[in-house]
Amino acid sequence: MEDITLSINGRNITCPPGTSILDAAEQHGIELPKLCYHRDLKPFGACRLCLVEDEKTGRIMASCVTPVAQDMSILTESPRVNKHRRNIVRLMIAEHPESCIFCSKGNRCQLRQIAAKLGIGETNLYPMPNYKPLEQANPFIIRDLSKCILCGKCIRADHELVVVGAIDYNLRGFKSRPATLHDLGLEYSDCTFCGTCVSMCPTGALSPKNTRYVGTPQRESLSICGFCGVGCSLAMGVVDEKIVEVNPSHLSGTVNGASLCVRGHFAHDFLNAGERLLSPLIRKDGELVSASWGETLEVVARRLLEIKRENGPQNVAFLGSSKCTNEENYLFQKIARVVLETNNVDNGGYVSGQSLLNLIDEKTDGRYRIQPLARLEKEDAIFVIGADPNHSVPVVSYYLKKAAKKGIPLIVADPRRTELVDFSSIWLRVFPGSDLELINALAMLLYRKKAYASDFIIQFTEGFDVYRRGLSSLDLDRISRVTSIDVSTIEEVAELLHGKKIAFMVGHGILQQRYGRESLDAVINLLLMTGSLGHEGAGLYILARENNQSGARDMGAVPYGLPGGQSLSNDLARRQWERVWQVKISPDQGLNMVRMIEEAEKGNLKALYIMGENPLRSLPQPERVRSALEKLDFVVVQDIFANETAEIADVVLPGAAFCEKGGSFTNMEGRIQTFTPVVVPPGDAKPDWEILALLAEKMGYSKHYGSLERVKEEIIGSVPMYADPGGHGYTPWIRETSEKALFRPNGKGDLIPFSPVISTEDEVPDDVYPLTAILGSYRYHLGSGTRTSRSKRIQEFDSKGEIEISPGDGTKLNLHDGDTVRVISRYGVVTRRIRLEDGLRAGLIYVPVAFNDNDARNLIDLAQLSRHDSLGWKTCRVKLEKV
Amino acid sequence: MEPKEVDWGKLTSIIDKYSNEKWGLIPLLQDIQETFGYIPPESINLIANAMKLFPTEVQGVISFYAGFSLKPKGKYVLRICRGTACHVKGGRSILRLAKRELALDEGETTSDYQFTLETTACLGACALAPAMMVNRAYFGKLSPPKITNILVEYGKEKKEKLKDVRDEED
Ligand code: SF4
Ligand code: SF4
Ligand code: SF4
Ligand code: FES
Ligand code: FES
Repeated sequence: MEDITLSINGRNITCPPGTSILDAAEQHGIELPKLCYHRDLKPFGACRLCLVEDEKTGRIMASCVTPVAQDMSILTESPRVNKHRRNIVRLMIAEHPESCIFCSKGNRCQLRQIAAKLGIGETNLYPMPNYKPLEQANPFIIRDLSKCILCGKCIRADHELVVVGAIDYNLRGFKSRPATLHDLGLEYSDCTFCGTCVSMCPTGALSPKNTRYVGTPQRESLSICGFCGVGCSLAMGVVDEKIVEVNPSHLSGTVNGASLCVRGHFAHDFLNAGERLLSPLIRKDGELVSASWGETLEVVARRLLEIKRENGPQNVAFLGSSKCTNEENYLFQKIARVVLETNNVDNGGYVSGQSLLNLIDEKTDGRYRIQPLARLEKEDAIFVIGADPNHSVPVVSYYLKKAAKKGIPLIVADPRRTELVDFSSIWLRVFPGSDLELINALAMLLYRKKAYASDFIIQFTEGFDVYRRGLSSLDLDRISRVTSIDVSTIEEVAELLHGKKIAFMVGHGILQQRYGRESLDAVINLLLMTGSLGHEGAGLYILARENNQSGARDMGAVPYGLPGGQSLSNDLARRQWERVWQVKISPDQGLNMVRMIEEAEKGNLKALYIMGENPLRSLPQPERVRSALEKLDFVVVQDIFANETAEIADVVLPGAAFCEKGGSFTNMEGRIQTFTPVVVPPGDAKPDWEILALLAEKMGYSKHYGSLERVKEEIIGSVPMYADPGGHGYTPWIRETSEKALFRPNGKGDLIPFSPVISTEDEVPDDVYPLTAILGSYRYHLGSGTRTSRSKRIQEFDSKGEIEISPGDGTKLNLHDGDTVRVISRYGVVTRRIRLEDGLRAGLIYVPVAFNDNDARNLIDLAQLSRHDSLGWKTCRVKLEKV
Repeated sequence: MEPKEVDWGKLTSIIDKYSNEKWGLIPLLQDIQETFGYIPPESINLIANAMKLFPTEVQGVISFYAGFSLKPKGKYVLRICRGTACHVKGGRSILRLAKRELALDEGETTSDYQFTLETTACLGACALAPAMMVNRAYFGKLSPPKITNILVEYGKEKKEKLKDVRDEED
C-alpha cells in the first residue's frame, strides 16, 4: 500500500497507512498531551486529551485512535482543540479529591503535569470528588480510586501485558471504576501483585505501598533485576542513596517491556534490611569483630596461601554465586584456578540443576545460545514441561499466555494444575519423574506419522537410526501407565504437534529431577527429529531460575568447565587457557557444591571461600552442613547479609547488591546485559569484583584490575561467546542478530548426536511413605529465599506457603483447609498448614520452598544431590500426620 | 434474607448451549437473566471459563447493562415511571404507595422473591401517565386503588399478613 502524506502543524509528513495521527506526530517530534495512551497497549481513546483538528473539515478527533488519511491538515494546538482540552482537564480535576496535595505520585502525576502545561490552576467548577474508600490492606499496592480518571491503562496492562484479568471496569457512568471480581480487595482476587498496573497509572489512583518514603524519588537510574533468570530491565528510584521504588525501565526492546513481577517490583526493599553487612569482620577469640579492609584481606590471602602450601591446592574450594555478575564469577574462578591452582570451584546455581545447561552446549558446541522470548509469539506450538513459569519466572508466563491467547497451541505437561493450564490447549497431567517416557511416546507417534524432518536430520545429526529403533521398541500401554496419561490423550497431543516446529520450555521439574539429564536428552532428540532446533521460531528454552545462572557457568565458575562453556577435559581448550593465564590447569574435575560439603565432613577440605551463597539455607540437612563447615580450618563468606552461613565464618567480607555495582548478567535468553551502579554500597561494603581484584593483588597476582573495564576486556578477549559486544550501557552485550543467534548458519560444525532412548525404572510402592511430595516455588520468593524473606513487604504479605493436598487424600486423612500437618520423609519433617487443591492428583502433595527458613529442604537428603547431572530433589517420598 | 438457591444443573446446561459461540456472551447472559431472574454471582467463574474470558470481563459486561442484575429479583419486577409526564400527573404518590404496599425501598426485593420495586426514566407511555410496568406488561392512568388491585392480581397477600411475617422475622 502506498504511503500517506498529510500535514501536521504545517509540516508535511509521510507515513504508512494505518499509522495513528498521534504516532505520526510523535515520530516527527510533535508531542501531544495524552493520558490513556501507552505504546505497548492497544489504543483506547478514553481520555480525549490527544484531540487534534483537521483544518480542512473542522473535524475534531482523538489522534491516538484515528488513522492518518491522505491530505489531512492537522493542527494539534488550534484554539478549538485547546479549549476542549482545557475543559476536559478542568472536569477531571473537579472530580479529583483534595488529597491530591499529598499524593505519592507527586510531580510525576501526568494529570498534574498536563494541567500545569495548560495553565489550569482553578477549575471554577463545582468540585464533585468521587469518594471511594482507600484500599491498602495488602503490603504492595494502594488503590485510591477517587483519583481514577478511567483511562483504562491498568486494565489493559492487566489483560494485555500480564494476562491475569484481575481487574476490569465495573458499573457504569459516575460509579464506574476498575474493579476485581465482586469488587473485593486485590488480595482476594487473581492479582499477582506484579505492579504493572501501578507503573502504568498516570495518576495517584494506584501507587506502591511505601513505608520509608512517599513522593517523587530524587533521581532514577537503570539496572537489571537481580532475582530470576528473566533479567528484567528496571528503573530504580533513589532517595538519599536508598532505593525506594522500582518500575520497569522505559527502554524499548527489553525482555520485560512495561511489565515486572512482584519480586522485581516490590521485593527490592530487602536492600534496606537491617542485616546488611557494613564492614569486614574477622573472628577474634571466637567473636566476629570489625576490621579494616587491609587487615581482613591480608588475613584471607595469607591463610588461603598457607593452606594451599601446607595441605595442597585440593584442600581449598571456592563456592561462587549465580547471583553475582559475569565479571565477578570470572575473577572468582580465575583466583581459584590461577592463584590457588584448584578446580574446586562451583556456584550456587548447582542446586537449580545448572549443569544441565551444558547439555545443549555440548551437543552444539555452544552454537545455540540466543533464544529471545519475544519469538514465542511466532511459534508453531509451545510445549511447557516441568515448569510453573507463572511463579518461577513470571515474565516468561506473560509471553506464554499472550501466545496462547493468539491461538498458538500450548501444551502443558505438569503433575499440578498450574495457572498456565487455564491457557493451555491440552494439559498432560504427567506423573512426577515420568516426563521422559511421555516425550519418547510422542516422538514414537510422530515418527510413525512420518513427521520427521529428513533434510534436517541428514544435514545436522547423527545416530537417527539407533534412535528410531529405540523408539519403535517402546510400549505405549506401559508408558500410559507410568505417566498416568491415557493413550488417547498422548495421541491427541501427537496429532496436535504433527507437522509443527516445537518450542520446548523446560523448567526445574526437569532440571532437578532424577531423570533430568535423560529427560532433557529426550527433549533434544524430539527437537532434532522434528527439525525444530534449527528453526527460528522454535527450539529449546531453559527457564533459568537465578538471574545469572547462565553467566556463572559461562564464566567457568563450575568444577567441570572453563570460561566459555568449555570442558576441562578438552585438551585444546585447556591449553588455550593455560596460554591466556600462564599457568598449568589440571584436567581433573574439581568438587561440586555438595561434594565440597562431603569432603569437608571427611576432613579432606581445609578452606572454603563462599561468595554470595548461603549453603546453610539452600542445602538440605543444615545441621550436617553446619558441622561440616565447622570442621574447616578457614571459612570466608563474602555476602551482603549477615546470613546463616556468615555467622560461622572466620572472615566476613561485605559485598554489594547488584544495584550497588556495575557488571553484566546473562539471562535465560543468552542476552548479556550490562549495568552501572544505581547507588553506592552501604557502609564500608564494596562491589564484589573490587574485593576479588584487591584480594588477587594481595595474593601476589601480578595483574592489576583497577576497573571493571579491565575485567570485561579480558573476558571479551578470551571468551568467544562473549566476544561480540553490541555496545555498552544497556544494549545487550551480544545482539540478537549476531551470528550466534543463528543455528549453524552455513551448515558447519560437528553433527549433533541423537541420544539413546532410555526408560525409567518402575516406581516401587512404598508403604511407609505412601505420598510423593513435589517441591516448588511460589512467586513471592526466589530460590531459598535469603533475599526475599528480608523484604518487609513479602514478610507482611500473609502467604505462609501452605502445603497443597488433593481432595482425595484430604478426605482419607480427614484434613480440611487450614489444618496443620507434619510432612515426614526419611530425612526430616516439615510442619505447616494445608490447603486442599482440586488440581492435584491423589498421592501427590505440593510443598512450596523458601518459607520458614526454607524448611522444605529438610525433607531431602544431601547425598541425593551429589551426582551433578541428576539431582533428584524435585520430589521425595513422604507421609502425613495431622497435628 | 436467605440467599437464593441456584439450580446448578440448569445453569450449566444454559452455559453449555453458548460456550462454542463466538459472540455468545450477551445472549448467554440474557438467557440466564431470564431463566433465573438474575445472574447468580457464583456463576461468573463458570461463564468466564466457558467463554474463555476473564471473570472480571464477564462482571464488567453484567454491570454495564441495566438489563442484567447480580442480585436476585422478584418474580414480578415493578418499574414505576419517574419521567416528567408521570411526575406531573402524580407519579410520586404512586411510587410512595407501592413502597408502602410492598414494604420495599427502590431497588429492593421481598424476602419471598415475589416482588422487586424499581423506578425508571420515561417508559414511553406518557399518554397513559402515570405509568408503570410489571415485567413486560404496561399499566397506565394509575391511581392508588388501581395499584392495590394490580398487586393483588399478581398475588400479593393481604398487607396485614405480610406485616405479620415480617414481625416474626424480627
Ligand atoms: S486506576 Fe489509574 S490506570 Fe486505572 S483507570 Fe484509573 S487512572 Fe487509569
Ligand atoms: S498488580 Fe498485576 S496482576 Fe494485579 S491487577 Fe495489577 S497488573 Fe493485574
Ligand atoms: S524476578 Fe524475574 S520476572 Fe520478576 S522482575 Fe525480576 S527478572 Fe523479572
Ligand atoms: S490519549 Fe488519545 S484518547 Fe487518551
Ligand atoms: S414520563 Fe412516564 S411514561 Fe413518559
